[in-house]
Amino acid sequence: MKRKLLKQIRSEWRSNLWMSLELLVVSVVLWYVVDYFYATWYIYTEPKGFDTEHCYRLSFGHITDKNPDYIPDQQKDDLIKTNEEILRRMEQLPFVEAASLSQNSFPYNGSNSGTYIFNDSLSSSTLNYLLRRIATPGFPKVFRYEGIRGETPEEISELMVKGEIILSGPVFGTGDDRLLPEAHIGEDFHLDGDTIHSYRLGAVLKDVRYGDFMDWNTSVLINLPHSWMSWSDEFCLRVRPEEDHDIPERLMEMANGYFHVGNRVLVNVIPFTDTRDRFQQNNYDTIRDMVVMMGFLLLNIFLGLFGTFWFRTQQRAQEIAVRKSMGATPADIFRRLITEGIVLLSIVTPLAFGIDCLLAYMEYNTYLMGSYFSVPRVLLCAAVTFGLITLMIIAGVFFPARRAQKIDPAIVLKDE
Amino acid sequence: MLKESIYNLRRQPVISIVTIAGTALSIFLIMVVVMMQQVRTAPYAPESNRDRFLHYPYISFSNSQWTDNPEESNSNGPMSWFVVKNLFYPLETPEAVTAYTISTDVYSIGVKGEKPFAGDVRDTDAAYFKVFDFKFVDGKPFSQEDFDASLPRAVIDTNVAARLFGKQSAVGRRFEINGGEYTVCGVVEPVSTLASHAYSQIWIPATTGHMIEADWSTLGGMFTVTILTREGGSEQEVRDEFKRRSDEFGKTIAENGWVILHRGRPYTQEVNELSSSSNNEPDIEGAHRRNLIIYAILLLVPAINLSSMTHSRLRRRVSEIAVRRAFGATRSVIFLDILTENFLVTLIGGIIGILMSVVAAFLFVDVLFSQSYVYYVSSVSVDVSMLLHWSTFGWALLFCFFLNMLSAGIPAMQMARIGLVNSLRGKDAGK
Repeated sequence: MKRKLLKQIRSEWRSNLWMSLELLVVSVVLWYVVDYFYATWYIYTEPKGFDTEHCYRLSFGHITDKNPDYIPDQQKDDLIKTNEEILRRMEQLPFVEAASLSQNSFPYNGSNSGTYIFNDSLSSSTLNYLLRRIATPGFPKVFRYEGIRGETPEEISELMVKGEIILSGPVFGTGDDRLLPEAHIGEDFHLDGDTIHSYRLGAVLKDVRYGDFMDWNTSVLINLPHSWMSWSDEFCLRVRPEEDHDIPERLMEMANGYFHVGNRVLVNVIPFTDTRDRFQQNNYDTIRDMVVMMGFLLLNIFLGLFGTFWFRTQQRAQEIAVRKSMGATPADIFRRLITEGIVLLSIVTPLAFGIDCLLAYMEYNTYLMGSYFSVPRVLLCAAVTFGLITLMIIAGVFFPARRAQKIDPAIVLKDE
Repeated sequence: MLKESIYNLRRQPVISIVTIAGTALSIFLIMVVVMMQQVRTAPYAPESNRDRFLHYPYISFSNSQWTDNPEESNSNGPMSWFVVKNLFYPLETPEAVTAYTISTDVYSIGVKGEKPFAGDVRDTDAAYFKVFDFKFVDGKPFSQEDFDASLPRAVIDTNVAARLFGKQSAVGRRFEINGGEYTVCGVVEPVSTLASHAYSQIWIPATTGHMIEADWSTLGGMFTVTILTREGGSEQEVRDEFKRRSDEFGKTIAENGWVILHRGRPYTQEVNELSSSSNNEPDIEGAHRRNLIIYAILLLVPAINLSSMTHSRLRRRVSEIAVRRAFGATRSVIFLDILTENFLVTLIGGIIGILMSVVAAFLFVDVLFSQSYVYYVSSVSVDVSMLLHWSTFGWALLFCFFLNMLSAGIPAMQMARIGLVNSLRGKDAGK
């Protein structure tokens, strides 16, 4: 039976060649898509190191001299006082758990400031951009940062009050255990080339990533200097979970009274779910494109197999009838047609796997945790690809095979 | 020919449906990709002059006090009013130069004494309304004099006008932006958020807003610039003048250590759309390569499929073709006949595909035309003028033609080469 099957495949080599070519192209592209999903899922499910649930960002506008309440000739100190007062009023709201003011720091930000830290024996690696998070001590409480030694957000916050700095990620480079920042807790460091001031490394955080789809996690958290308060503009707060309803509406109702401080007035409240979605729109778009591409490829396999086998069962009506009259059951006929498709797929799979490996080796696929190529990853993704295509082959051959099962030898062979 | 094609299609309905479905699927997805790109680059109001735009979205700069190598340590972002005034406004070769806030800002909008609502506001100048062709329903833009005198005038869209004043005429009426009183000078039709440079709900003279003072450095601020080149004028001339002026400007700011990194700016509309961050030059070649791969996959995979199907269909007609050959039809005639006949099938699939793509564009507008990083009050919208251009149909026809060549070319060649004797004897030549 097997030999006959191979002979049949050979005798229809021209149309099988087309089908194999299609299976080959689809195998490779589908593997790329599956690999993308694997890498994306892997990073997405890693701990993020921060929590934005129940968090909101408040946007304060500036009133101008067109407004009767405008206070002219405000100096830097006035602006500092205004922002301090806004922060104080945020913290005092009964439904607010924590509040902070920061600069280029909140999660899913998009605007970054970099820095570097060093002391006599160590300096931050140039391999990873060291993100500077500069914020008031409420910040780790708003986003629930935790230390690697079990420090709570509140304890991290207290370290910030003492003027200590907090690190996240392999700041001093990777690959060497001695360089893990945890080993240097308690040491003094300088920031940004300033050798006069030094800051004690107070704690190391459980890796704080930049976003759901990014593994970048090197950052230093610094207490916002008082003089920077005038031009910092990120007002964030965490509300108590049981109070988390209609927060934007409740806050906006206070816009013209409670939250009109100096020349600033509350103009918008943005839930962090929105901030996250806007920041990650590109990732969502890529996922959308990949899902569509996957659907397109699988649908094509379905259509191709369906069309070809529909035609084949038509051509082979007599042969199928003879086999039926020789005792083949409908299940045999069905199995035989399906096997034909899967044999073709199995023939092209080694070649497709070779191309997959080559693409991964040449780093054309998706980056994951420092690499593109690993044998288990390629194998797993190729196996999933094989499974998906097999499912489509079964679906595509199903209807023509059903038709073949219904062939009545008495009618088809009446001329013989 | 048409009759014959339809007859052939009806003779094998299942195969015909599969062929048309495969073609439609391919053209559908290709046209969705084309539309997604066209809303970013093809002209439609108020960005009808996209082919004459030169954008300078961000400024990148360094200072000799920070580093010896500007590429190593630099700041990137929208520019300060100081740069707008001294580097861009003096340009003479373009038709117009406008500066506007890089993104709209949400402000509190309302009529005095009534509950305010959130609205998108953009701070800009008078030239903005020359560069972007807004459809004014009533009134006119604020003038250069209004701008210079920092008069609180505002252009608003019809949605905001209706919300503020109901059905009454809005021009000349007063309303408040963050508590400051403004007078409506013009009402325009709402702008799609996809026209990202022109989009807002309310436009005010930058001299009346706060952004003009919101600098974060001598060179960094809140503004972005679009240059409109003259119709029939040379883009290169504008670039040459810009280069000359930026060299001069560079010398004056160098006294304080400042250095500007241009990163290939100003960008054309297409390049600007590819620019995803302020600290990198857009990877144009990479984007083109990516597009090419996407189009290739969307064309090739169905083409292989359809090729196999065309081949199967033609096998049924071996003797017909052989008879025609025997009566003197040359190989090239047979080849072209098959291609043309198949092109009709491709066109049917193509038309279905285009219709599907337009329907999908309207049904899934949020999913297809999503925008990153922006916080607009309005949700994304599209209309026919944005989606369908003559070029859209041109592209569709071209892709159908390619698909046809790819899917029918080889089978047609094989059929044109069939042996007469064997075919007429009934032996299948095209296995």
